[in-house]
Amino acid sequence: MDQGSLLLRKQLKELTKKPVEGFSAGLVDDSNLFEWSVTVMGPPDTYYEGGFFNAILSFPTDYPQSPPTCRFTSEMWHPNVYHDGKVCISILHSPGDDPHGYEAASERWTPVHTVETIMISIISMLSSPNDESPANIDAAKMWREDREGFKRKVSKIVRKSQEML
Amino acid sequence: MDSDDDGSYPYDSESMEYISDEDNDFGFPQAEEPVASRRKAPYAVFTEDQLRERIQEALDAVTSVLSISEAEAVRVLRHCRWDVNRVNEEWFSDTAALRDKVGLVEAEPSTSGQAGGKVTCGVCFDDFKRRDVRSARCGHLFCKDCWQGYVTTAIANGPSVLDLRCPTPKCAAAVPRDLIFEVASKGDQAKYLQYGVRSYVEDNRAMGWCPAPGCENAVECLVEVSSEPLDIHCNCGHAFCFTCKEEAHRPVDCATVEVWLRKNSAESENLNWILANTKQCPKCKRAIEKNQGCMHMTCSQCKFEFCWLCLGSWQEHGERTGGFYACNRFEAAKKRGEYDEETLKREHAKNALERYMHYYQRWAENDRARLLAINAMKAMTETTVEQLSEVTMTPTSQLKFVVDAMQQVVDCRRILKWTYCYGYYNFANDDGKQSEANKQQQNFFEYNQEIAEVYLDRLHGVTEKELNKYVDGTITDLGGWGKFRENLIGLTDVTRSHFDKLVEELEKGLDHLLTTYRATTEEEAPPEVAEEAAAGPSSSKAKPEASKAPSKKASGAKRGRQNGQKAPAASRATESNTDLEATAGHWQCRHCTFANQDLDAEVCEVCEMARWE
Repeated sequence: MDQGSLLLRKQLKELTKKPVEGFSAGLVDDSNLFEWSVTVMGPPDTYYEGGFFNAILSFPTDYPQSPPTCRFTSEMWHPNVYHDGKVCISILHSPGDDPHGYEAASERWTPVHTVETIMISIISMLSSPNDESPANIDAAKMWREDREGFKRKVSKIVRKSQEML
Repeated sequence: MDSDDDGSYPYDSESMEYISDEDNDFGFPQAEEPVASRRKAPYAVFTEDQLRERIQEALDAVTSVLSISEAEAVRVLRHCRWDVNRVNEEWFSDTAALRDKVGLVEAEPSTSGQAGGKVTCGVCFDDFKRRDVRSARCGHLFCKDCWQGYVTTAIANGPSVLDLRCPTPKCAAAVPRDLIFEVASKGDQAKYLQYGVRSYVEDNRAMGWCPAPGCENAVECLVEVSSEPLDIHCNCGHAFCFTCKEEAHRPVDCATVEVWLRKNSAESENLNWILANTKQCPKCKRAIEKNQGCMHMTCSQCKFEFCWLCLGSWQEHGERTGGFYACNRFEAAKKRGEYDEETLKREHAKNALERYMHYYQRWAENDRARLLAINAMKAMTETTVEQLSEVTMTPTSQLKFVVDAMQQVVDCRRILKWTYCYGYYNFANDDGKQSEANKQQQNFFEYNQEIAEVYLDRLHGVTEKELNKYVDGTITDLGGWGKFRENLIGLTDVTRSHFDKLVEELEKGLDHLLTTYRATTEEEAPPEVAEEAAAGPSSSKAKPEASKAPSKKASGAKRGRQNGQKAPAASRATESNTDLEATAGHWQCRHCTFANQDLDAEVCEVCEMARWE
């Protein structure tokens, strides 16, 4: 078995034994360690509180050398999530994308990251959106200029996510 | 061998005279300039091995002064763009800041090793014996397998691996080269070293790669790097500009070259097709493609009916003009210039296009000639020199001058080519409008360009045609070979100095030149002399003073001592020059600008062109 599978299996075992607060994780299909299904709970004291958002984590074959991608399957409205649900945060970018900017390299993917650290980053993304380099420009604009509208829109997707349960 | 040949020169005694004269008159700037133009090149070319040596030198310089490891020195140097002085400056002004920036962690924290016990790898969370894990100086431990994966991925990602840091998020510690080499494969190690060389050239402001395909040489600029163009002749034969990496293009500046090349790539394809396939409607000037056989054309735009052959109005065609196909009205039609008011705008656009076409065609033609010359030079070094050596019974080492001559042709073609770009941008705006001063400058520029062209064509002719007469056996009598040789060497020299001077003066700008010229001529020189002074950039610098001098008649005795005289292509000399020349102690050839010391000579010592009209 290759390093990636070993590592993923180990993480799966840990997470089933000792679940981490804020999310739950499992495999999409028990025979494939490289596709995870995760559910993120909307962090308390945020617009997303009370929501249950499903996402798929897809790991590349050379994990942990390269980062996985994370895509929300539940409807999502957030400056750092693309319209198709793909999450855009710096730790999911490999350092090779930006050869000379090593200041930022420390915030990018390194093999040390695990499902747990990724999920914690995503939860923290939900609590504090970064509107500097938005993936969803409309959401970022709304976040800046029409906070009330943003809140209404998020409440709607939170309700929707609860209905889906 | 060579000196034996000298004996057969028909004017041997005089050439000896010249040599003895030389000492007296050597102080003249004209005599020195060709020498000055061959001063040391302001750049150096390095092969990859030489680069590695130089990198080692830089590393040694840093490691010995700062007492840090070589791997650390690479990082510091890279941060400071491989400038050893800057490293020393930054290091000694704020060591901690520099260490922090490049990730040199001072000391290993002692907490990391639970001595003797097992340690957990930070990536795969497996437990390992202490000796199976590694860390950078920060002490974050990972197993060798995980290091290997990390390093391999990083090397595959490109030169940024030179800045590789500990995998722990937010940890800045640099991964030492020893660790990288311990886990990386042989191929990856070579790649890593290669990245080092690349960084040395690419991160260094004073260095650059030769852009020729397949050439792996790097060039170091030995003068201060600026935005001025700097011509580089790489050992591979490619000539390029250090500043913009385009082909060498002096006297034109880099920004103009960029604009020109962009214009060419946007327009040349269309232009070539239009040139080859269309004529312009004589009335509205639109480009028209003839798509049917008959000569009776009707413009689809303005409905003007005309003859495809002579472009004259169809109304005037018929028996009177000798039939449609024996059209003899060409001259008449060409002379006519009556256009109605409405066509003025079209005329405008047409002028702009024509102006551009004029310069572009000449630019492109010279480029073609340059490429042909490059091929000829290749053939020359490969075979011609060999053959010539047999025919003339001269060792090949003595025949370097023919290759030099050809190289000169290549260089000159390139310079000439760029003077057309210069001409396009410097004397008028797009549609050809220009001020009176512009016009004057343009005339002056074109005159000089013309002279340069005459020279170059002469040199090109001699190196190609006349030389071939020896190679293919048309000339079997070797009596003239020595003279041919001297002639060609001289011609090469003279052409080189003329072109060098042309480039220098054009770079300074024609304003400068015209001012100098006015300052030297307006005071006392008679009008003809002023005109003559305008003929060449160098003559305007000679600061002539009027005085008495032997007349042309006095020199008649030596007239015709040279056999190989050629009719001058352009001549503007006036005899009143003799006065000035006597004072100066030499006369300047109006073709090659060579300062001839023999005041009585009738032909130029070097180019053998006639002194007088």
